[in-house]
Amino acid sequence: MKLSFFETARYQAPQPLPSEWPVPSGSYDPDAGARAYRGMVERLEFVEELGFDWVSVSEHHYSPRILTPSPIVSAAFLAAHLKKIKIALLGPIVPQSNPVRVAEEIAMLDTMAQGRLVVGLLRGTSNESLTYDLNPAEARERTDEGMELVLKAWTEPQPFGWQGRHFRYRTISIWPRPLQQPHPPTYALGTSRESCEFAARHRLGCGVSYGSFESVGKATRYYREQCAHHGWQPSPEQIIYRANMLLADTDDEAQESLRKLPGQAPFAMRPGVREAMMTLDSRNIAGEARAPIVSGALPTTFVGSPDTVVEQVRRCREVVGAGVLDLSLHPPGSGELEPLMRALELFGKKVLPRIRDI
Amino acid sequence: MALSAFREGHIDADGFGIRYMEGGEGVPLVHLHGAGGLRLTPAHELLARRFRVVAFEMPGFGTSPLNTRTESMPELASTMARAIDKIGLDNFNLMGTSFGGKTALWLALQATQRVLALVLEAPAAIRQEGAEPPAGTPEEIARRLYAHPERLASIPPIDPALRAKTQPLVQRLLGPHRDRDLENRLQDLSTPTLVLFGTLDRVIAPAMGRIYKDLMPNCHLVFVYDAAHAISTDRPEAFTEVVSDFLERHEAFVISRAETVIHP
Repeated sequence: MKLSFFETARYQAPQPLPSEWPVPSGSYDPDAGARAYRGMVERLEFVEELGFDWVSVSEHHYSPRILTPSPIVSAAFLAAHLKKIKIALLGPIVPQSNPVRVAEEIAMLDTMAQGRLVVGLLRGTSNESLTYDLNPAEARERTDEGMELVLKAWTEPQPFGWQGRHFRYRTISIWPRPLQQPHPPTYALGTSRESCEFAARHRLGCGVSYGSFESVGKATRYYREQCAHHGWQPSPEQIIYRANMLLADTDDEAQESLRKLPGQAPFAMRPGVREAMMTLDSRNIAGEARAPIVSGALPTTFVGSPDTVVEQVRRCREVVGAGVLDLSLHPPGSGELEPLMRALELFGKKVLPRIRDI
Repeated sequence: MALSAFREGHIDADGFGIRYMEGGEGVPLVHLHGAGGLRLTPAHELLARRFRVVAFEMPGFGTSPLNTRTESMPELASTMARAIDKIGLDNFNLMGTSFGGKTALWLALQATQRVLALVLEAPAAIRQEGAEPPAGTPEEIARRLYAHPERLASIPPIDPALRAKTQPLVQRLLGPHRDRDLENRLQDLSTPTLVLFGTLDRVIAPAMGRIYKDLMPNCHLVFVYDAAHAISTDRPEAFTEVVSDFLERHEAFVISRAETVIHP
């Protein structure tokens, strides 16, 4: 099992914040932001020392919950500060990006980071379509096309034009190309039928997140079936499972922390927007419709003492088939750093060495 | 203009009676079809809004008599050059689809001064090793040719009997997957050329596109997303937009004219 630490840049608000998304920019404290990014580097040096294989970053906007609107900037910053750990860019939200720019920036960073980059491409969570006025009804198509264009830009040696449905370019010929050839290890992130099929067709990895083992297991099973249909089998490392973990010395303590978690995500959307989004944004797990997660709390699927968590990881490996666990060890959005550091240390000493061989 | 507004015409060239369909006004655009023969598509209709489109049925295809005479692709190209003469076109744009892409390349080599610009839709002049033409039932053939068979309703289905009749001719003229003689000549062909491949082409690997670009001094390569081998049927609007822009502006078509002002 490979281990990845999901880094969200913990912002500690000096004063209470409005609770609605988008959170007003004016309530941002620049010094607190500077502290958050400084703390991020210190924490990740420790994460690297503990033996994690990857650190992952993501794209989220307009709130302090995850303070990394540009994952490529986060990744570049981390690549410059950290020595050996792989930087997992999970990932640029493709439907609201310029895919050629995504291909260029990733190629550039993979080269600057001496081939330490891992890439995930995705549609993004429902609320993100509000960020740059993306029509949720077009998001899926734009994602598929954008991902295909990113792959083409990395691999096509001659200048070419792209006559797409949502993207049109007459001249594409990127410099540099990625150091890792033909491109960095790349995953299509998501549980949807479309995402799994895209990954299988293009021989990419698949990344799933947050759902129960059974629920994300449906997606990874479908992904493997599709890979077989295209005549190949993914390695365990080609399946990432991102999840929340609450780890404590004893099961009781961990369960107590679980009980204290808020029932919804911090910074929820206004109810009218949330409801409209629920009807406009269609989501599925391997073809079975599921409700979009809009302002709801994300489940925590690993809870307990080190012994309990090791067993849960074993079960996860059986059910989900993931060879990479991408973990949040404390709820994102929480500014409490001390419990996070305690959990990290405990994980590094009592869990990580025992799940390597799972 | 509607497809029904295309007029049918006939001329004689090299002793062959040759049928063609013509529609639209403006700079002439001659089209040479693929191995399946002449089938008018929505792309012909869209192109005829800006060009005088002349789509030939090459000898031996469609309902024309069996062609046992033409021995090589250069020979077919020269017959088609005479057919174009007969219609009275001095200078013209030339578009070739798949098999007809190779005919168009030979024609452009033979009549370089007359060809204003060249468009090659999924050309078959360079193919990956082991490339097989579509075969089987009409449904199986359709699955190889089209990414969006649902759009086929607008054009007549493939007739297996006609297809079987033309197979010996296609086999005889298509040549090897890499034709060294042709490829050597392409290095001197400076005609503005647009090569298009669908990202889902299941007959000829889209990666063949880069070889034309590499060989030909004035070649542009465009991938049409979500189209298979029959690009102009799968995505006629996308196909026509880039082809028209290229024919009107040649290499300057890389400069965008798209307007992005939302409100003045």
